[in-house]
Amino acid sequence: MTAVASSKSSIRTGARSTEAILHATNLRKTYQLGRTKVPVLRGVELSICGGESVAILGASGSGKSTLLHLLGGLDTVDRASGSEPASSIMFRGQDLTRVSVRKLDDYRRRRVGFVFQFYHLLPELTVLQNVTIAAMTAMGTFEYWRKRGQIRSDARELLDRIGLSHRIAHRPAELSGGERQRVAIARALINKPDLLLADEPTGNLDRVTGGSILDLFTRLHKEGQSMVIVTHDETTAARSDRVVRLVDGRVQGG
Amino acid sequence: MYQLLLTKRYLTSKIMPLLAALAVALCTAMVIVVWSVMGGFLVMLINSGRTLSGDVSISWPITGFAHYEELIKRLEANPEIAAAAPVIETYGLIGLPDGRTETVSIKGIDGPSFSRVTGFEDTLYWRPINTPTEKDTTRADLRLGKHDLWKQLFEGGKRLVRTEVSKSDRKPIDRPAVVPGISVSGFNFREPWGFYPGLPFIRTTEGAKKPVDMFMLPVDGTVTLNVLPMDSKGRAIEMVARTFPVANEFHSGLYEIDHKTVFVQLGALQDMLKMNRAETIDRSGPTVVISDDPSKEEFVTPVVVSEAPARVTNVLVRSKRESYDTADADRLAVVVADIYREFAEAHAGKVPEPSSIRILTWVDQNRTMITAVKKETALVLFIFCFVSLTAVFLVLAIFWAMVSEKTRDIGVLRAVGASRSGVAGLWLLYGLAIGLVGSGIGFTLAYLVVTNINGIHEWLGQKLNLYIWDPRVYYFTRIPSQLDPTHVVIVLCGGLLASCLGALWPAARAARMNPVQALRFE
Repeated sequence: MTAVASSKSSIRTGARSTEAILHATNLRKTYQLGRTKVPVLRGVELSICGGESVAILGASGSGKSTLLHLLGGLDTVDRASGSEPASSIMFRGQDLTRVSVRKLDDYRRRRVGFVFQFYHLLPELTVLQNVTIAAMTAMGTFEYWRKRGQIRSDARELLDRIGLSHRIAHRPAELSGGERQRVAIARALINKPDLLLADEPTGNLDRVTGGSILDLFTRLHKEGQSMVIVTHDETTAARSDRVVRLVDGRVQGG
Repeated sequence: MYQLLLTKRYLTSKIMPLLAALAVALCTAMVIVVWSVMGGFLVMLINSGRTLSGDVSISWPITGFAHYEELIKRLEANPEIAAAAPVIETYGLIGLPDGRTETVSIKGIDGPSFSRVTGFEDTLYWRPINTPTEKDTTRADLRLGKHDLWKQLFEGGKRLVRTEVSKSDRKPIDRPAVVPGISVSGFNFREPWGFYPGLPFIRTTEGAKKPVDMFMLPVDGTVTLNVLPMDSKGRAIEMVARTFPVANEFHSGLYEIDHKTVFVQLGALQDMLKMNRAETIDRSGPTVVISDDPSKEEFVTPVVVSEAPARVTNVLVRSKRESYDTADADRLAVVVADIYREFAEAHAGKVPEPSSIRILTWVDQNRTMITAVKKETALVLFIFCFVSLTAVFLVLAIFWAMVSEKTRDIGVLRAVGASRSGVAGLWLLYGLAIGLVGSGIGFTLAYLVVTNINGIHEWLGQKLNLYIWDPRVYYFTRIPSQLDPTHVVIVLCGGLLASCLGALWPAARAARMNPVQALRFE
């Protein structure tokens, strides 16, 4: 039976609204491993309100990363079959499961920002370039050229806010794990997304560094940033407004 | 924009793309050098062939046509025509001092007028020179320095005469002489440093050089020309042989011409071929009046009833334009044809009809040679371009490996909003950049090689005794090369296209990648 997590959500900070910016219904995702079909999500329903911080907690293989990818428009849901109701991800009145590839690309560019467990910075680029590259994908060459001063200024300001202004010209290989993750967060925030999606953001860090990253998330949340954090760690999850437990591809509670 | 940034970064931070650019550079340089040398070779061949053929030729072979002096006047009155000259072209045998007899093309010319139409004077080999040829570092060329013999030979060569002292009154007289091509005699062998040694030798059957006690041909030696005159209906009359002294030798740079052509004074050849001016006399009456009174006996002066004017087989025409354009030659041929039409109308029935006469441009005359070299150039280019296709596969292989290596980056780009076409565009732009860098390096390399090809060749010869372009074989002192801007642009575009083609498949692969799988790639 599918639980509706959003119905149990409680509001703990004053920086958010009660209106859901994203509402996912009956999310189903199956992977094909050879001849075997492996269902990962079996009808997940989830709502994210503006300014809300939601933790998706689950064991390894529970489908939490897959859920994050679906919410971020990186992956697609299963096609509806038989009598099962179709999956939908409503974002500000638009069903992401039915929009064109182009609109989905645009959604990833402007509406969401990803933070990954392994940072996924581009090794050839400097810290500043790793942050601005996300802005570059959001606009054409000429538009970027026109606005490059403002974008770089925004990126510097962001890096300053997360304590990396002295590392702007460094390459990822010259940074510590925590610093890399901060750069990844800055990259996710450069386009001022409605929703920050973080996949095990502290999973590759020691406790102290991970704690500082979580402090950063908390600070961002207090500033009104909506976010979904995928984690298998109860402590990490506990910092969020709401916890959604994912077991065997289904939401258990929050 | 991110494509530009990443292209720049990938290009400067990896060794593999630089290897791909190097492959493109080498292929580009190779094709440009080959095309430049072959193109230069063709131009040099055409120029050498054209040197002795003029721009347009009016031709009526074997029997020739009359009133050519008037035709020449009409031609030279045209503002587009610089000069015209009469020529007789025939084939015959040449008897050489060592007893050999060779078949040759014999051309009867009037030296001064022929020089106005062609570069004949410049081709005369034995002449005084002030500066040695480029490869003659030891100044071994006998023609260097002021030597009266060279001056005398040069002056004689220009007029095709040999000045001799009369045995009767000891006054100098000019005897009609021949100017054979430098390779006709078989005594001149070109040395690797590009000139004829002046002291001829014969190659023995063992391959050794046996000096010959003579210069050029024997200084006072002669050659014998054998020709077969024809009557006006093209019937052979009787073989005519005449011995001529040698005035000089010519060197056009084209072996086929230098090996098989002999120039002789026009008047002398007209005599031999019965193409000179002739009178028909009335033989019906007595030629001698016989009387009982010896004082009243007398020879009767024959009555000339008709006159056959002198004939030539060709009139060569030179344009006032110093252009090598085929279209210019075609336009001049039209002008010449119009003039000939008027000339033929004025001499109706006495000269060939305008529809029958052959009016050929220098391109038409050398078509076989030009076509052969053009085809050879095309074939060589095709082979080299085919070889250059390896660059496409090299770029493909390197890009394929790079796309695999950058799989996670592709996932990141997709996660931050890059579209499939944007990712494909990144790799195509990267391919284009490899092509640009490779083509740029290739062009620079080719430019350096082409502009210094003779120096490089010389260095190879000195250091490794490797003479790829042996003048004894090719008959050009220098390796010809001509960097044609159009050819360069075509090759550079080819280099860019090859790189983009090589990048196409990897780019499509990158674009098709599932971003989630790409992010999980290890």
